[in-house]
Amino acid sequence: MGLRLVGLLSAAGLVAGAAAAGGVPGGERFREANDLARAGDYPKGIALYEELAAGGQESASLYWNWAQAAAARGAPGEALWALLRARDLDPGDRAVAREIERRREASNLDPAEIAPDLWAGWARSSRRYHLDLLGALLVLLSVPLHGAVRLRPGARGATALLGLALSLGLVLTLGSAASSLTRPVGVVVRRGATLLDAASPTAETLGTLREGEVVPILEGSGDYVRVEDSSGARGWALAPDVRRLQGPIAPSR
Amino acid sequence: MKAAVFLMLALAAPAAGAAADTVRSEVDARKVGLDDRLELTITVDGQLQEEVALPSLRNLQVVGGPSVSTQISLVNGTLSQSKSYTYVLQPVMVSKAEVGPVRARMAGGERTAPAISIEVVAGSIQSRQRSPRAADPFSADPFSSFFGGVRGPEPKLFVEAVPSRTTLHVGEALLLTYYLYTQASVSDVKFVEAPQYAGFWAEDVERGSTPPAGEGVTVGGESYQRYLIVQKLLFPTRPGRLTLPASTLKLGIPRQSFFDRGSVVQRPTRPVVVVAEAIPDEPGFSGAVGRFQATATLDRSALALGEAATLRFRVEGSGNLKWLDRAPEVSLPGARVYPPQVKSEIKAEPGGMRGAKTWEFVVVPQTSGTLEIPSLAFSYFDPQVGRILRAQTPALPLQVGGGMTAGEAPAPLAAAKGAAASLALRADLDPAQRRLPALSGSSLALIAGVGLLVHVGIWAAARWRERGPLGEGRSAPRRSARAALHALERAGAGGLTKEAAATLIEKTLHDVFGSLEGEEDGERVRAARALLEEVEFVRYAPQLGDYTETIRDLAARAREVVRRWA
Repeated sequence: MGLRLVGLLSAAGLVAGAAAAGGVPGGERFREANDLARAGDYPKGIALYEELAAGGQESASLYWNWAQAAAARGAPGEALWALLRARDLDPGDRAVAREIERRREASNLDPAEIAPDLWAGWARSSRRYHLDLLGALLVLLSVPLHGAVRLRPGARGATALLGLALSLGLVLTLGSAASSLTRPVGVVVRRGATLLDAASPTAETLGTLREGEVVPILEGSGDYVRVEDSSGARGWALAPDVRRLQGPIAPSR
Repeated sequence: MKAAVFLMLALAAPAAGAAADTVRSEVDARKVGLDDRLELTITVDGQLQEEVALPSLRNLQVVGGPSVSTQISLVNGTLSQSKSYTYVLQPVMVSKAEVGPVRARMAGGERTAPAISIEVVAGSIQSRQRSPRAADPFSADPFSSFFGGVRGPEPKLFVEAVPSRTTLHVGEALLLTYYLYTQASVSDVKFVEAPQYAGFWAEDVERGSTPPAGEGVTVGGESYQRYLIVQKLLFPTRPGRLTLPASTLKLGIPRQSFFDRGSVVQRPTRPVVVVAEAIPDEPGFSGAVGRFQATATLDRSALALGEAATLRFRVEGSGNLKWLDRAPEVSLPGARVYPPQVKSEIKAEPGGMRGAKTWEFVVVPQTSGTLEIPSLAFSYFDPQVGRILRAQTPALPLQVGGGMTAGEAPAPLAAAKGAAASLALRADLDPAQRRLPALSGSSLALIAGVGLLVHVGIWAAARWRERGPLGEGRSAPRRSARAALHALERAGAGGLTKEAAATLIEKTLHDVFGSLEGEEDGERVRAARALLEEVEFVRYAPQLGDYTETIRDLAARAREVVRRWA
């Protein structure tokens, strides 16, 4: 595991080095998309952002701009989705956090309606502060400490340090591991999106989902996903109406 | 079953008299032999208030009955009831006999039937003479019963399956009607086995709430009442010569006389042969056969960017509408079109299947300006024309206004452009080095698990060492050393007798270093043995003075040895 960690860290270093040497790939297309959005051609601008994201150029800045263009186009749900995606990528971006709060209030959504899972907060903190790496390091560090304590039983400071490292390391690693098991969620991106009783074009309508609401995705079937809204109602919605927050971006058009 | 009850009610209708609150008294013979029997029937039409009593009898005695039967009829929405009492009578002597007047208390008051005189002669004359039964409510029944329990001939009735046509196209409707022809009352009609329509798609024709009415027909020179039993719409699913096999119906015949218990007869239909002609096929053909009209409508002609419009594509007409399951392709550049919801309003009628099928598409414009919903086509086969026709809807314009942000009013397009220019966009993509690789949940769990296992291993190894023998140069278990130092400190602190203190030091040293017997003569062993000898000396020395200092010194030296070697 130590080797794996070293490998990961080395890979991160290589990526960082390559970026510093050759600039950010996709930068030109990004600026082109910005120009389109500034010119008022939001659909094309968003299409370019989407193309970049699908090509692996995901970043908080890309989703920030996407959110701005979507909001200007009159799609608050899509804007909120893009901002939440940006926050997932860079939890430390305070501007994104402020914008999410502003959009949430504008959409008249309760804080719980955009954060249905408490573990999601842990996952974000873990990504922001690299709690997973820290926990793994602490667990690994506790092993030689334990050995030292066994060899030098009189060293009381080492014993306390061992206890602290092991317990903190376990809490961080297991907490981060548990947060990765949370249910996938999606954002309702269409006004008046319907909740259906079956994954079928002839299904009966159970109700309407609120645009911008974050809903857990329970399962998927063809063009439909099964979701649960904040009131606890479960049903099927059209997959394009509920955009996933996790996972790769698939072109929607 | 429901149909059978309706049919029974309808068939019973002619037998039920139209008159309300009447009572009749009848005998089957006005002249009988002394050895004969006669049947007295009292029939009450209307709502009885109490049971009808046996009338007074002169020169007659009751030998059977009464047998009571009730018939309920629904004619033109009016419910009527008829009740009859049947007695079997026998003369007492050769003389005049009489059945007294019959009185019945009805809802409309008391009704009376006149007395009946009967002539009784010697011997038996029944085989030679019987009087006709006047005004019998069952007179419509041609199979009148005979007193004595012998059934008459089998009632004349048969069933028939009649197709509306025998040549048609695949997908075209054919009406198959099952008729019952009867000269008798029938109480129940049902199929012995559900009819099979191989090669056809079948739909039940909806029936009205009114019961079926019979009609008089002549078949083979004989009069029958004909009743419609059930109708099916059949649509051939493949071309060729198709045969509808015979179906057998079970018909219940109600009791005909006092001793008759009724019966059930079975009647088969004849097989029906139908020739189905193939229909042509061409790209885009929907499979619809009939006459249809297609229309497309938008629920609004103008909307703001971000709002949704509903496009309805409706196919209406007569034909195999239920076969239509493919929605038209709607492609609209500049708008997102969601998969449609389908709504059907289809009725199966004797004339065919009629109604409409509607596909509802939600259209969400992605850009402002004027969008045009394209013309939508619908191809169907018209059997009357004999070829595939194409219905085309006109293109529909959709005006899309400027976008609006959540909670804001729609803004003019120019204002939207101005807002676009002031969008707070970030200039560059974030550099990739800001992201450190994240460990997956399984990797983290693995790290925690392996770490814990290593810790457990270290602990177990230490425990093993604690329990193993102490060799030269090996330290004592941590807990033993700590406890030993504590014990030695207690021994040197005073407060104990010299024997107790010496014993404590000796025991502690043995706990830490063992018995020391047979061990190699190293520095550690020598130091421990020397100390033990001194402790033993002090322990057994006579109490001639104060040994406190000596004990403290020994305890201090013992602690030193323990610290050094344990």
